[in-house]
Amino acid sequence: MKVELFGMARAIAGVSHVDLALDEPVTLAEFLRALADAVPGLVPDVIAPARDAFVEPNLLLLDGRRAPAGDETFGAADNPCVLFLASGG
Amino acid sequence: MTNGTIADVPRYAGPRDLLEIDLSARTSRRTPLADGVFADALGGVGLAVRLIDERVRGPIDALGAANPIVISAGPFASTPVPAANKHALATISPLTGLLNEGLSSSHFSAVLRRCGLAAIVVTGIADAWTTLVVDGERIAFDDASDLAGLSARETTKAIRDRYGDRSVRVCAIGAAGERGVRFASVENDGRQAGRGGTGAVFGAKRLKAIALRGRGEVGIADARATAEIAATLRTRALGPTTAKYRVLGTGANLRVLQRMGQLPTRNFGAAQFDGAERVTPERARESGGAYTELRAGCAGCPVQCEHMYVRKGRDRREAAASEYESVWAFGPNCGVDDLDAVLDAIGRCDELGLDTISTGGAIAFAMECAERGLVPRDAFAADLRFGNGAVLLPAIDAIAARRGLGDALADGVRAAARRIGGGADAFAMHCKGLELPGYEPRALPTYALGLATCTRGACHNRAATYDKDLRDPSSDPSDAARARDAIEAEDRAVAWDSLVLCKFVRDCFDDFESEAAALWSAVSGMPIDAGALRVAAHRTWERKRAINARLGWTPADDTLPPRLFDEAIASGPNAGRRIDRDRLDALRTAYEAQRAARYAGVIGSSTAIASVLPP
Repeated sequence: MKVELFGMARAIAGVSHVDLALDEPVTLAEFLRALADAVPGLVPDVIAPARDAFVEPNLLLLDGRRAPAGDETFGAADNPCVLFLASGG
Repeated sequence: MTNGTIADVPRYAGPRDLLEIDLSARTSRRTPLADGVFADALGGVGLAVRLIDERVRGPIDALGAANPIVISAGPFASTPVPAANKHALATISPLTGLLNEGLSSSHFSAVLRRCGLAAIVVTGIADAWTTLVVDGERIAFDDASDLAGLSARETTKAIRDRYGDRSVRVCAIGAAGERGVRFASVENDGRQAGRGGTGAVFGAKRLKAIALRGRGEVGIADARATAEIAATLRTRALGPTTAKYRVLGTGANLRVLQRMGQLPTRNFGAAQFDGAERVTPERARESGGAYTELRAGCAGCPVQCEHMYVRKGRDRREAAASEYESVWAFGPNCGVDDLDAVLDAIGRCDELGLDTISTGGAIAFAMECAERGLVPRDAFAADLRFGNGAVLLPAIDAIAARRGLGDALADGVRAAARRIGGGADAFAMHCKGLELPGYEPRALPTYALGLATCTRGACHNRAATYDKDLRDPSSDPSDAARARDAIEAEDRAVAWDSLVLCKFVRDCFDDFESEAAALWSAVSGMPIDAGALRVAAHRTWERKRAINARLGWTPADDTLPPRLFDEAIASGPNAGRRIDRDRLDALRTAYEAQRAARYAGVIGSSTAIASVLPP
């Protein structure tokens, strides 16, 4: 699963995207564990130490326009991207 | 003009003097504000709006002698509270004709309180260019004829040289404010109160600068409790919630909004920009040494959010701030993908004292006018068309000098569209005369409502509901829910701006209202709870609207530019989206109903302090 990274996630990972080896579809919790395994540096600034949630205001958007709800599952076709939303300026 | 002491109101611990200046008569009057004033309005924007409310009781010429400029200290400035050395500036905007309240920050804010002042009110018009000097208790009206034409930075240096004291803190205007550009800014310590043209009001009063020198103690009611809360905030402000600002800066929004299809492009003609990647500040950082990155920030702030860039080999003093809104205004909004041209434009605006958002908006509007044949493409020294970075500097210079087409643009896009004619108002991107910031309202419906209702015009910092929309762009809550979100965002912004805390530390609070109320209580000695803070914020919002109503505002003014209704986003993740007029009307109706009902019967009843306040 190709995952686009923006903001702090990209700054920490040093790359614009990562490829996760996952059996799709996945839940957000499964996704976060795999992402933390692939880029350990994302814990604890982007992914919480328990590796089951994002650290606010980082989040996952699908197709650039919707956040997965609850235990909704998703896959590579949903174009997941990790963003840092806090804005201003 | 202020209320007398109210029985049972605890004593306000901080600096409390109001300094009233009449530039026409060259007189000053210094009086202590009553405790009840602080209990009622807190400080910052709340206090500034109250002082404007007392003085502007009907229509007023924004560039006339009677229009007051209020500078009001943040109540946590010059205390250990981080991200709080800030002050508010309020006046009637020459751009919108309505209330304008902005913020600036850093040393000037702190020294204002060390002069023993809660606020300064300036009225009148000086005979010649003047620097108002506040040296502790001493007031002077210094001749500033030799400072005319200088930038704020140069003005600051000249005043410090004159006094032989680098601790003098100065706010000043540049050439644009002197010439009455209606979106001229006021700068202090390298920070700008940019929006709404307060700099033009300074210029109309022939007030070139205000210089402060003060070393007084700033009282804190409970120093120990304040220090504890401040230490917690400081630790959090160095954590992950502010990482983006510390590591990347706000310019990091550009890549994100481009990916989400919410990056206004070519005067809101599109929502994605092919050249976005080439103007991201990250590109400068990753350029392999082509740029030098400098960090800066406000006094006493651990975040140090400002990321500035200068091309290798150039003087570091030419470094330009890469704030998202500024980069967006001259980059995507003008269709320019040349980072050097964008940074040069930002730097020139700071030098001349211009708001970057409105300046970029005016140039983007002019580019569209030129492409539609409404103005000549050779109006400036280079071809006036989207994508031509070479036209930015000549256009900025012409606006600041009020030369040629620049003279029309210097009045803002609303007035310029009327002057140019030919249907140009259809793509003049403003609300109530204030040019739009860099978020795509067609893809952010709650934010769109907030833009329409905002008392200041199109300001993203008074109706910052984009965070809510961005968290789940596809959700479609009810009109009532969107109205509630917009109202809560507006009132929360008033609370932030009255306390005055930087919004970049907004995620450093677990429960903002409760924690901020505790902080206010510790610093001021006037205990309030979260409910009282919300009520105080709402009271200030009501004052803002009442002032605007006296100036001629009507509910019909709470709308959006025609393009957002008439043209759908053409491509990208939000293709096909536009603002539906009937839906916006329904949202406004829900908004007004909730505004009317929300605090009915509870104003002034939330706490013991509030219960003794005047209505």
